[in-house]
Amino acid sequence: MKKRVGVFVCECGTNIAATVDTVQVAEFAKTLPGVVYSTNYKYMCSDPGQDLIRKAIEEQKLEQVVVASCSPRMHEHTFRKAAAAGGLNPYMMEMVNIREQDSWVHHDKDQATTKAKSLVRMAVAKALRNKPLQVSTVPITKKALVIGGGIAGMQAALDIAEGGHQVIIVEREASIGGKMTQLDKTFPTMDCAA
Amino acid sequence: MVAAAQHPNIELMTYSEVTDVKGFIGNFKVTVKQKPKYVDWELCTGCGTCMEKCPTKKIPDEFDFGMGQRTAIHLVYPQAVPGKPYIDAAHCTKLTSGKCGICEKVCPTDSIRFNDIPVFKELEVGAIVMATGYDQFDWKSAYGEYGYGKYPDVISGLEFERLLSAGGPTGGQIKRPSDGREPKNVAFIKCVGSRDDTKGKSYCSRACCMYTAKHAYQVKTKIEDSEAYVFYMDVRTAGKSYEEFYQRALNAGAKYIRGRVSKIYPRGDKLILKSEETLLGMPIEVEADLVVLASAMVPAAGAVELAKMVGFSVDKDGWFQEAHPKLQPVETFAAGVYLAGTCQGPKDIPDTVAQASGAAVKVLGLLSKTELATEPMVSEVDVTKCSGCGLCVPICPYSAISLQEYRERGGHGHGPFTRQVAEINSSLCQGCGACLPACRTLALNLKGFTNDQLAAEVDALCL
Repeated sequence: MKKRVGVFVCECGTNIAATVDTVQVAEFAKTLPGVVYSTNYKYMCSDPGQDLIRKAIEEQKLEQVVVASCSPRMHEHTFRKAAAAGGLNPYMMEMVNIREQDSWVHHDKDQATTKAKSLVRMAVAKALRNKPLQVSTVPITKKALVIGGGIAGMQAALDIAEGGHQVIIVEREASIGGKMTQLDKTFPTMDCAA
Repeated sequence: MVAAAQHPNIELMTYSEVTDVKGFIGNFKVTVKQKPKYVDWELCTGCGTCMEKCPTKKIPDEFDFGMGQRTAIHLVYPQAVPGKPYIDAAHCTKLTSGKCGICEKVCPTDSIRFNDIPVFKELEVGAIVMATGYDQFDWKSAYGEYGYGKYPDVISGLEFERLLSAGGPTGGQIKRPSDGREPKNVAFIKCVGSRDDTKGKSYCSRACCMYTAKHAYQVKTKIEDSEAYVFYMDVRTAGKSYEEFYQRALNAGAKYIRGRVSKIYPRGDKLILKSEETLLGMPIEVEADLVVLASAMVPAAGAVELAKMVGFSVDKDGWFQEAHPKLQPVETFAAGVYLAGTCQGPKDIPDTVAQASGAAVKVLGLLSKTELATEPMVSEVDVTKCSGCGLCVPICPYSAISLQEYRERGGHGHGPFTRQVAEINSSLCQGCGACLPACRTLALNLKGFTNDQLAAEVDALCL
C-alpha cells in the first residue's frame, strides 16, 4: 500500500482562501502517510491548474491524486480528466470538498483550516485504497418523451423532431397548446398566441 | 401547435398522464395512462355533429373560466389539436344516468364508445423533457380585501385574456362578467400573490408587468373614452423591446399609480378601490367597472408528485430544481431529465421558448450517441461471502439486484452443488450504495467507496 500520493489544494480565488489557510493545509498534507507532493494554487480547475496536476503526476511519479477544492458535482469530471492526462486511471483521483462543506459554511479561519486538514487526511487515507476502475457502456433508446404539451413542450418536441428523433408528447388535457391557447395577443409584438 | 401535431417524428398522447417512471438515462421505462375519451379517435373525423346534437349544453366552460358554456361531448376549445371531441364523463347524461346516447346515434362513423376504459401504455425512451407549466395562484382563498372572488367583476389576468380573445365568450369584446356591459374604467392590480410573503409567494412572477401593460394598452385602444388604472409596486421591463412596450402603454394613456390596493368594495354597480399613491404620499380612491388582478404563477397541480416519480427535486415553492442556477439551467439532478418553461420557475413566452430549445439541444446531444459510458462506481458482490439471503433485492431502488444460481465446485467429500447469490446488473445500478447496509455478510461493496475505504476514512479522522 506504499503509494505515491499528490495533494492539490485549491484557493478558488478567495472562495476558499478567505476562510481556509490553503498554504497551511498543503504543508500539513506533506506530513500524511503516502504523500510525496503537495501544493496550493489559485484556481486548480483552470488550464494552468490542471497542467500543474498533470506535470506533478509525471515528474513526481504520483500514483494517487487528491484535489481539495469544491463539490465533486462541480469539477470531479475536470480533475478526473487531468489525472487521465497525466497517465493515471481517472478513478485514482479523489476529491475533497473544502468549499461548499467548509469555507462557505464557516467564519472562523482557524477552525475552518483545521476542518480542511481533517478532510484532506480522510481523503488521503481513502485514496491509498483506490483501485483503477473501468468505464462500461450501455445502449441508448433513441426516442424522447416530453411531459406537457404547452408552448415549452411543443417547442422542445419540434426541435428534437427536427433533429431526426422520435418524440412522444404526453398531455393531460385533450388538446395540446396549454395556457398559451387561452391568451389573446402577446407582448411585445402583439401577435396572436394561438 | 399544428406543426407539432403534423410532424412525422412527433406522436401525441393527449388526455394522458404519466403514472410511473423507471430506469435511467438512455433507458427510461415510462407508464402512461390514457384516460377514457369515450370516442374512438381513430374513426372520428371531427365533423362536430355530436357536439351540435348533445342536449347537455349549459356546462360552464373551464377554458373560459365559466364565462362561456359547452356541451358534455366537446373540444377543449374550437381550434383544439387534435380536433376531435371527448366526453366529459362527470356531465354526460348517458354516463351518469344511462339515458340519452344521442351522440352515439348521430355519429356518422360510429366512434362513440360509452364503455371506454383507461389504457396503460409502456414507453421506452432515452430522455425526458419536463414541460408541465404553471397554474394561477388561488387569490380567491388568500385575498379577502379583494373580495375572495365574491365580486364577479374582479377577475384574473388570464380571465381577462379570454374576454379579449376573438375566440372567447364575448367574441373579443371587453364585457363585464356581471352584466355584460362594456366597462369604461378598468383597474389593474399587479403582484397579487407575487412578492407577498404574508399572503402569497416571495418571488416575482416575471410576466405580469408586461401583460398588465398589454392589458392596459388594449383597454385604451379597444374602448372609447376609457381609463386604465394600473396599481403597481415596481414596473419591471427587463427584456428586449419591453421598456418600449411599457412606454407605448403609457403613451396610449394608461395611468400608473404606485401603491398597493388595500380594499375593494362595491358602490352601486361600480367597484371602489382604496389605495395609497405613494409618490404623492396621499390616500386615493378609484372607481372602476372592472378590476383585473395579475395573479402569481404557481407550479402546475401534481408537479411535485411527478418530480418525485421521475426522481429529481423541487425548490421551496415547488418549482422543478435545475442542476445549477447559472451553468445547468435546463438539467435536473436526474441524468437524462431536462426542464423546459415555467415548470422550472415563472417566465414569459420568449424565455420559455428559449429554454425549451435549450432542453431540446441537450436531448439531441444525448441521442446523437450510440452508447453511453456508465459510472464504474457500482455495487459488486463477493460470491464467496454472499449467503443469498436476498435482503438487498427489495432495497435497491433501481431493481438492479436479483438472486441467481451459483455453481460451487464442492470438495471435502461434497460433489459440485449450486446455491443462490445476489447478482448486480451493472447497467441498472446507479451506485447509490443503499444495498450495502443491508448486507449482513459484507459481501456487497461499492466500487470506489468500499467498506474498507470508508473505514480507513473514519480511522484517519478518529485515530
